[in-house]
Amino acid sequence: MNEKVVAMLLAGGQGSRLKSLTYDIAKPAIPYGGKYRIIDFPLSNCTNSGITTVGVLTQYQPHALHRYIGLGTPWDLDRHKGGVTMLPPYAEIDGIKWYAGTASAIYQNINFLTSCEPDYVLILSGDHIYKMDYEKLIEYHKEKQADVTISVLEVPWEEASRFGLVDTDDDMNVIDFSEKPEDPKSNLASMGVYVFDWKKLESYLEDDNIIEESSHDFGKDILPKMLSDQKKMVAYPFKGYWKDVGTVDSLWEANMDLLDPSAGLVLHDPAWRIYSSNPQLPPQVITDSGRVQGSMVNEGCVISGTVRHSVIFQNVLIEKGAVVEDSVVMSGTKIGSGAHLNRVIVPPDITVPENYRLHDPAKGITLLTQDLVDSWKESGQQ
Amino acid sequence: MTLMAAVDASVKVAGLQDLTIHRSVSSIPFAGRYRLIDFALSNLVNADINSVGIFASQPFASLIDHIGVGKSWDLDRRKEGLFFLPTSHQNGGIATVGSFHDFEEHIQFFEKSRQTHVVVTSSFVVGQLDYKEMLAHHLASGKDITEAVGASGSLKSYILSRRLMLELIRSYREKRILSIEDLVNLKKAPYSYGVYEYKGYFAIIDSIQQYFKESLGLLDENNRRLLFLPKEPIYTKVKDEPPTRYLDGSKVSNSMMANGSTILGNVKNSIVSRAVTVGINASLDSCIIMQKCTIEENCELSYVIADKDVYIEKGVTLTGTADRPIVLRKGERVTKEDSQ
Repeated sequence: MNEKVVAMLLAGGQGSRLKSLTYDIAKPAIPYGGKYRIIDFPLSNCTNSGITTVGVLTQYQPHALHRYIGLGTPWDLDRHKGGVTMLPPYAEIDGIKWYAGTASAIYQNINFLTSCEPDYVLILSGDHIYKMDYEKLIEYHKEKQADVTISVLEVPWEEASRFGLVDTDDDMNVIDFSEKPEDPKSNLASMGVYVFDWKKLESYLEDDNIIEESSHDFGKDILPKMLSDQKKMVAYPFKGYWKDVGTVDSLWEANMDLLDPSAGLVLHDPAWRIYSSNPQLPPQVITDSGRVQGSMVNEGCVISGTVRHSVIFQNVLIEKGAVVEDSVVMSGTKIGSGAHLNRVIVPPDITVPENYRLHDPAKGITLLTQDLVDSWKESGQQ
Repeated sequence: MTLMAAVDASVKVAGLQDLTIHRSVSSIPFAGRYRLIDFALSNLVNADINSVGIFASQPFASLIDHIGVGKSWDLDRRKEGLFFLPTSHQNGGIATVGSFHDFEEHIQFFEKSRQTHVVVTSSFVVGQLDYKEMLAHHLASGKDITEAVGASGSLKSYILSRRLMLELIRSYREKRILSIEDLVNLKKAPYSYGVYEYKGYFAIIDSIQQYFKESLGLLDENNRRLLFLPKEPIYTKVKDEPPTRYLDGSKVSNSMMANGSTILGNVKNSIVSRAVTVGINASLDSCIIMQKCTIEENCELSYVIADKDVYIEKGVTLTGTADRPIVLRKGERVTKEDSQ
């Protein structure tokens, strides 16, 4: 690409429906897939797409994210020119300006963007799991001579009302835009991935900033305004796996998708690696009594129990006689002998005591917590 | 008192020929995800040694590719850090550790350093040597040179003062000595020699038999517990492989598995490195499979060492023994016809 693209990665989300998983980390920092954090996906997409200037906008519980991303070394973003820049809210003469909405987050970093002198700005969300070549998206944006391009994904009609939907004509020009409508007219969902011509975006952000009743949001304010001004807005049809991990159930599903080749997300792909910060751990060991079937297991694990159809993160100890099925076991946990987990997400660093049972299929997906374990112990281990 | 280190990655080890056609002994893969030199380097940086010279001779492309600027060991420093010091070896190198000829070629590394003492170590000993403790022992003993010794002999690691190191580099020809190891073995006057007894796990990789035995020895939990200490990690170059996939119908037991592999078949008593594929109904028993190997369906391998990028076509049976494991060289392709 001759023109300069700057990616702005929105990573300030809380993800409150993920409960205890996001009490002290932002949603993009949630562990996923045995060794990753969700933000590894958009960051790796940038690296693999040749985008080398990335701003990461943080707000809610930013420390884990800042520490994790650091200088951006795992994603080759530790650069003299460009690289990764962490952009938390900051104080000015007239006070601290929190990011009120997605657009205000970008607006408040206009100085950063101006200093980058981009031709195009790519807006990304830090909490979606997908592999996407942004270079193709930007080529499409140029070809269409658009002012803004929205990446869209075809979703099943029955789920369409959960998404921000984009209605297009036959040439993929956007003619309408509706946020979670009850009666969807389209099944093209916005992925929260936008390409803007920087100069146009800059003027819309400045205009939006002085409108008091604006919620300063791309989907609710900026895009509808551009559409009513008859700016050229096109939709880019993305094909492939894409998942918004907003709830405990969808986090579990996204992990299970990795065990199902038909789900369409392949991590064993040397041409499109997902990079992450790698801890230095020895290889995993499956002992004499260990049985692992239909599962993914990361480094540092010692598996002496039975693991079926599960995703096991680094440094997990599963003792002999323990059974883990259809579950997601995060790093540093220990599953005691005789424990039986089915359809459970075990958060990092929890010790599941011996003979602890949580395998009622009728209960749906359980996010285990230390409180659950403690109250089980207090109740006489029933 | 402070330490710098000289790692001898050029010493000749005759017994490892099949694994050293394209690489030096120091970059032989070990324990699924490491190279032999990782253990020496990690021991050094875990003792807060920040100035490390690696003395390497050809072929060292594989070693350079692995070490890079030393980032994985935190040795990418403005001040000091990692020094890659190639040696010329007109006569093909020597078989003892710590060649003065090599050191002489890079005498500035020793002259310009500010540390008081030097660790000289090899790159084919696997262990958890504590150089801080060894230095304290050396200083307390008052000896000129201290050698680390394990239950079965020398660990080929030495501590001496930098002043003495420079004196030896300037006088080794006259003294008719070749290396630190040579000097310690001969116990030449006027120097005094001490021993530091190391009690932990170690493995000396100086032959294919030793390589095979010590690799599979890591399946013993006690050995792993002594080698992989949570507070003294073994660092290596990271590869960003995804977790290993165990498909339905696979069966893996008593094995050490690195990341990025896809297992459909049966694996027992084995070490499987990164990004390996084991096909349906293939069986591995007591094998060491290095990175990016493919073992197609219905293969039966026992007592086999497969170097990097080996491709074993379907239906191949290979049977070695513990004393004489079959070694498949890097990039080799084995067909059913070959194996009959």
